[in-house]
Amino acid sequence: MMRLDPQSVADSSTDVADGDPLDGYARRSRTSPIRRLLLLLAPVIGVVGFLAIWQLSIVIFDIKKFVLPSPWNILGGIKSDPMFYVRNARTTVWESFLGFTIAFLLAMLGATIMALSKFAERAILPLAVLLQVTPLIAYAPAIVIWQGFGLKPILIMTSLVCFVPFLINGVLGLRSVDPNLLELARSVDASRREEFFRLRLPSALPSLFSAGRIAVGLALIGSVLGEFFSGSTGGLGYSVKTAQAHSLTLQLWGSVFVLAFVGAAATMLIIGLERITLQWHSSQRP
Amino acid sequence: MIGNTGVSPNGPRAMMTHPTTDAPSPVGTNEPLVSISGVSKLFSRRGRTVEALRDVDLTIGDGEFVSLLGPSGCGKSTLLRIIGGLQTADRGTVSVGGGDVQHARAAKQYGLVPQAPALLPWKTVADNVRFLTSLHRRRGSEQVMNDAEIQELLVTVGLAGFERSYPHELSGGMQQRVSLVRAFAVGAPILLMDEPFAALDEITRADMRYLLLDLWSRTHATVVFVTHSVTEAAILSDRVVVMAARPGRVAAERTIELPRPRTPEMEDEPNFHEQVRRLRADLREHHA
Ligand SMILES: Nc1ncnc2c1ncn2[C@@H]1O[C@H](COP(=O)(O)OP(=O)(O)OP(=O)(O)O)[C@@H](O)[C@H]1O
Ligand SMILES: [Mg+2]
Repeated sequence: MMRLDPQSVADSSTDVADGDPLDGYARRSRTSPIRRLLLLLAPVIGVVGFLAIWQLSIVIFDIKKFVLPSPWNILGGIKSDPMFYVRNARTTVWESFLGFTIAFLLAMLGATIMALSKFAERAILPLAVLLQVTPLIAYAPAIVIWQGFGLKPILIMTSLVCFVPFLINGVLGLRSVDPNLLELARSVDASRREEFFRLRLPSALPSLFSAGRIAVGLALIGSVLGEFFSGSTGGLGYSVKTAQAHSLTLQLWGSVFVLAFVGAAATMLIIGLERITLQWHSSQRP
Repeated sequence: MIGNTGVSPNGPRAMMTHPTTDAPSPVGTNEPLVSISGVSKLFSRRGRTVEALRDVDLTIGDGEFVSLLGPSGCGKSTLLRIIGGLQTADRGTVSVGGGDVQHARAAKQYGLVPQAPALLPWKTVADNVRFLTSLHRRRGSEQVMNDAEIQELLVTVGLAGFERSYPHELSGGMQQRVSLVRAFAVGAPILLMDEPFAALDEITRADMRYLLLDLWSRTHATVVFVTHSVTEAAILSDRVVVMAARPGRVAAERTIELPRPRTPEMEDEPNFHEQVRRLRADLREHHA
């Protein structure tokens, strides 16, 4: 593929014939409806294809149900007791949401201080890196010993894993404001507060959204891990743990499927919010 | 509470009105508005000291269009920022309308046009134009232009119909026009422009000069205009301050003897070429 069309390089939906780049432009605007439908359905086709291959392998290699169930069996397991999964999913989503929010708020506070003070940045950054490189699973039991069982240790773990991406991206974002804009604001004697809320914070939104997309997955990891260690009696992590203890392979896989679904839905929610909020931003331009 | 300082807006009175009448070309009243005397500024970075400005004396009249012309590094931007209270001089004094620059800044006496358009990407053209006036609203709001006046400026610069567009939908030249209108919308008596057209192509740039003059003729504001371009300085200004580098200083001052309003045709006249020639000679003479 030799194309000198910079816009379509990044755009996978423009698989046009080689040749005159102008030709590419003309054709692009007139993609056939079938092609467009295909592109729209591509993600679904990918997932369904993966599940189909899985299903087929189970049949071909005759793998036992209690070793690795087929997707069809797993979905059937979920369908046989949907309320069980809804109930546990609700618990985990709530924990993840709370942890995610706490992390976001605390990280914004930290990022604001760090963005305004070089000293604070240099002092806090190594701690943030340490927090990020230390595996949560290693200090999770320590948090439970310290905080006891219950929701609290789960929220602490969840917020700890979400904190660093928000902090780092927050600092980057708040610093990313155009210095010319800051100078303009100063030329009319704008207050520090106006500078923060009207210039820095909006400038930080794109990086905060990318942090949000990363943190969604981390929040689920945090709360599932929290449920493993903190004697929970609900949540998808709890459900995985009990399934393992009683060799309930279907329930184990069912919980994993529901977790995947929840994570995907939350990510899509964030991406949707991002699209609406950041229409002005270059990353959202067609 | 928006106010953050106890400064009262007792700086210079708003010396500007915004008549929409097509008044005859505004020329400096000779009444000094900005007085700079003995201003020096040193920058030290990694042990090396740069004498950005040495003993600068300059008086700018009310309503005058003054250009700062000089090679890169001669301290044009530094001087502009000192006038605007965005940087402080090491020595010397700057007074604006008899008061100090910080008061003038607090009283919204400045409209700034930076080199890059510096628009808020998340706001429409209309909101960008009002951005500066919406900051720190309680001070100096009497002079701020109203919606009708702003609309008229947008029409003047050919942006009618683009009020609801976002900056990324505009060309560089259009963005810079928004930036110009934004500065005028503050209704400030002093406009500070730091190479506002430097990033534009030559053709767009030539148009922008006359647009700027058109906007200016409606407001009687005082303009301090930084440029690298001799012809630009000559066609725009009442007076050109030629600066030299190492140390940054004022090398010469030239009054431009061309009538107003200035027109593109003037650029072909011998008189214009004579003005340009004189400026070039000044620049050459003081070039290190
Ligand atoms: N914040 C700063 N820190 C250190 N040195 C500086 C700073 N600002 C300006 N300088 C130095 O002061 C001198 C004058 O800078 P200034 O930006 O005023 O020049 P200028 O005439 O505007 O140049 P240009 O035409 O390239 O914009 C330069 O040598 C520059 O390197
Ligand atoms: Mg400069």
